[in-house]
Amino acid sequence: MSLRIREVVKRFGSLTALDHVSLDIEAGEFVCFLGPSGCGKTTLLRIVAGLEQADGGAVELDGRDLIEVPARLRNFGVVFQSYSLFPNMTAARNIAYGLECRRWPKDRIAARVAEMLRIVELAEHSHKYPAQLSGGQQQRIALARALAPDPSLLLLDEPLSALDAKVREDLRLEIRALQQRLGITTIMVTHDQEEALTMADRIVVMRNGRIEQVGSARELYQAPASRFVAEFIGRMNVLPVEAADGGLGLAGRPIEIAIPAGGAQGTPTVLGLRPEELRLHPGAKGNGGQGPNRLPARVVQSVFLGNVTHLVLELDEAGGAPPLVAELHGGAAVGLEPGAMLQVELPAAALRVLEWR
Amino acid sequence: MAVSGSLPAGGAASPAPPAARPGSLRRHERLPTLIATLLVAAPLLLFIVYPLAFILGRSFSTPEGLGFDNYATMLSTARFTRILYNSFEVTLVSTGIAVALAYAFAYAVQRTAMPGKNLFRIIALVPLFAPSLVQAQGLVLLFGRNGLINRSFGTGIEIYGYWGIVISMVLYVFPYAFLILSAALAVADSRLYESAKMLGAGPWRTFRTVTLPSTKYGLAASIFVCFTLVITDFGNPMVIGANYNVLATEVYNQVIGQANFERGTVIGMVLLVPAAVAAILEKYISRRQYSLVSDQSRPLVIVPNRRRDLAFAGLSAGIAAAILSIVAVVVYASFVHLWPYRMTFSLRHYAFDVQNGIQPLWNSIYISLMAAGIGVLAVTASSYVIEKFKSAVTRPLYFLSILPAAVPGMVLGLGYILAFNDPANPVYLIYGTLLIIAIVNVYYYHAQGFLIASTSMKQISGTFDEASATLGGTRLQTLRKVTLPLIAPTLIGVAVFFFMRSMVTLSAVIFLITPQTQVAAVSVLLLEDRGATNQAAAFSVCIMATVIAALLLVRLGLRVAGVKGVSLIR
Repeated sequence: MSLRIREVVKRFGSLTALDHVSLDIEAGEFVCFLGPSGCGKTTLLRIVAGLEQADGGAVELDGRDLIEVPARLRNFGVVFQSYSLFPNMTAARNIAYGLECRRWPKDRIAARVAEMLRIVELAEHSHKYPAQLSGGQQQRIALARALAPDPSLLLLDEPLSALDAKVREDLRLEIRALQQRLGITTIMVTHDQEEALTMADRIVVMRNGRIEQVGSARELYQAPASRFVAEFIGRMNVLPVEAADGGLGLAGRPIEIAIPAGGAQGTPTVLGLRPEELRLHPGAKGNGGQGPNRLPARVVQSVFLGNVTHLVLELDEAGGAPPLVAELHGGAAVGLEPGAMLQVELPAAALRVLEWR
Repeated sequence: MAVSGSLPAGGAASPAPPAARPGSLRRHERLPTLIATLLVAAPLLLFIVYPLAFILGRSFSTPEGLGFDNYATMLSTARFTRILYNSFEVTLVSTGIAVALAYAFAYAVQRTAMPGKNLFRIIALVPLFAPSLVQAQGLVLLFGRNGLINRSFGTGIEIYGYWGIVISMVLYVFPYAFLILSAALAVADSRLYESAKMLGAGPWRTFRTVTLPSTKYGLAASIFVCFTLVITDFGNPMVIGANYNVLATEVYNQVIGQANFERGTVIGMVLLVPAAVAAILEKYISRRQYSLVSDQSRPLVIVPNRRRDLAFAGLSAGIAAAILSIVAVVVYASFVHLWPYRMTFSLRHYAFDVQNGIQPLWNSIYISLMAAGIGVLAVTASSYVIEKFKSAVTRPLYFLSILPAAVPGMVLGLGYILAFNDPANPVYLIYGTLLIIAIVNVYYYHAQGFLIASTSMKQISGTFDEASATLGGTRLQTLRKVTLPLIAPTLIGVAVFFFMRSMVTLSAVIFLITPQTQVAAVSVLLLEDRGATNQAAAFSVCIMATVIAALLLVRLGLRVAGVKGVSLIR
């Protein structure tokens, strides 16, 4: 089933939680709403679910307007952050709940519950109460409960954020595999970029009640539309630059960039560079500018993280420029201790413009 | 006000979704909201607001039409000024003593390692099982003119009057103060105490700077609750007050003694003001009680301290002895032939060869059972509608639900006579029946019952409703399958609460009984008044036995059903 969100507006008093949000979601797609807390992602999900009423705009499922349809008649499966399994019912009865509300015959309910328990691999726990299950098990039962009535849309509201790191990782893949197998259109809300990157077909980055950018994980990482997206997805070195001699300057040195085609949007003021794209030249000290975009720098801090090492670099002549972070793999950082002098190269092809004037 | 005061599920990880604004209801939600609101509002208006409006109107009605004449006449008499002064004197002194003793007792139970804590806790609550005038009854048996002490030792102790009232009031309100303070002292953050110790604070300084501030809301709440209870109680001063009149007894004297309803209503209104102010302050304060403990708090571990534990055990034993001696002497008096002349064992007072015989006890039991049933229904409905059907009138409805906390029982009872003793009113059909007495008890205790139910309702996360709705459940399916099963244990507690209070109360029912519908607690008062000490004692014992038997029965039932963690005594 495909979902169309058109010009949805939601206000809480003087606060505008959603500011004319529009989005199309294709049938079978897994879409993530990603953003910091307060960006409106949960509110948008709740409006889609029918748990919150929009002040304006429309939500359409396969062309049918849902605004006047109450949550219980929408036939959407919802999984909440807090599990919210009914504590007075066993796992099996929780799963049966939606089917009982739809007045399915008893034998069909029993068969469906057994099937769902098998899918989430918790058949042997069917008679346990939620309090007797682990967090991960509870969330899988919650998922089974949401999917049992065969909903036309699956909505996940930060379903993994209350779980331990290891359980979270397993469940991410499990939910994704299940979603693909059932081919069910799914929306998940999360503030965890890694979760969004690993699970979603498309990610909707939200900020202050608006959609900042929509795209696949790769698109968002490689071509962020704004400084916000650049800093929210992955890590980004942010370089304020000034106009100098008809070109650009950073810390008093000329900087070349590859201006994207057709990008005549003014003068760039802020550039971005991913940490893994910095090139270091440890041998070359001093000012010798052997090649473009090479700047003298000093290692301030070295953070060893196993397979990668983060080096914090301070530009030597930086007039207030923020320190840079370089990400080195394997043994590439050996010998680069705090205090070491080197040259850092900012490859022109990798530099992207984050802000224009 | 449960002893095992569980914390509201506040401070959860995700911020609660803002409540729907009134007026923004979807079309399909408007009609159910309207119907539910009306269903709850109608009985509250009929059984609380309507009688109060009558009593207010009557207090202003004079032969020359509406006016302040009744008030002017009343306020200008020296007798009334005296009574007003008496009321406040007795109330302030009793409240002060009761709260101080209850604090020490609760501290002993919650914060020391004295032996026998569970026993002390139960003894502290014993007065709740007895008719509300048992303290005065017991004091008279102990220290009265024909009391054990004066008869045995030839002393001339004069208990009637001011001190008699104060002592009986202290014992009467002690369990209420203990329940609140015990809940306040039960929660403590050991990190604060460890910090105080590390910074070099001694026990006294720690008490002043950590314990006292962290229980100040409980302390204030208990003061206001005791204040209201004392100033509105009339059973104890009736029995032991002699010529020392207070506002509550004066209402009774004017209405029953002189059939002067105008004066009765005026004094009732005067009584309403301090009671209402105290109740409002208590509600305002008790809202802040729980925020002091965060989910990172670690519970306090009590380290034994011989000297401290012994001192507190001694104090607690003294208080327990006072409470128990009252009950014991009443039980004793019920089994002697003729107090104080023939102190031989006799069962003759349990034959109840008085007017109506044992009937008042049965009346009390029927009324209390009805009050338990109607009460649970009423407070469940109002807390459910107020929690789940938000609308423009949610706040006024909440106010109505807790309004009775501010209304003295006698005032409400008087309002019922004025409003319903009128053949033109449909409620007249049940006037003079046991049912109207059950109803007055339900609405007199509505605020407490409602708060218990609504706290429990609030603790059920709103996401259960949302989960149920998204799974296709209607409101009724959610109520039947999720909400009610989850609050059922609390509702049993609410039923017990209504049963217990209805068994022992005097104040709301005193104006509504007829010879056929007399209740046991009133029998105690009337028999005591007639000098039938032994029969009065026997009735008191029967009331206590009934309440305790009911408690044990429910306890047993809960154990068989495997339900845990229900606080039955509130």
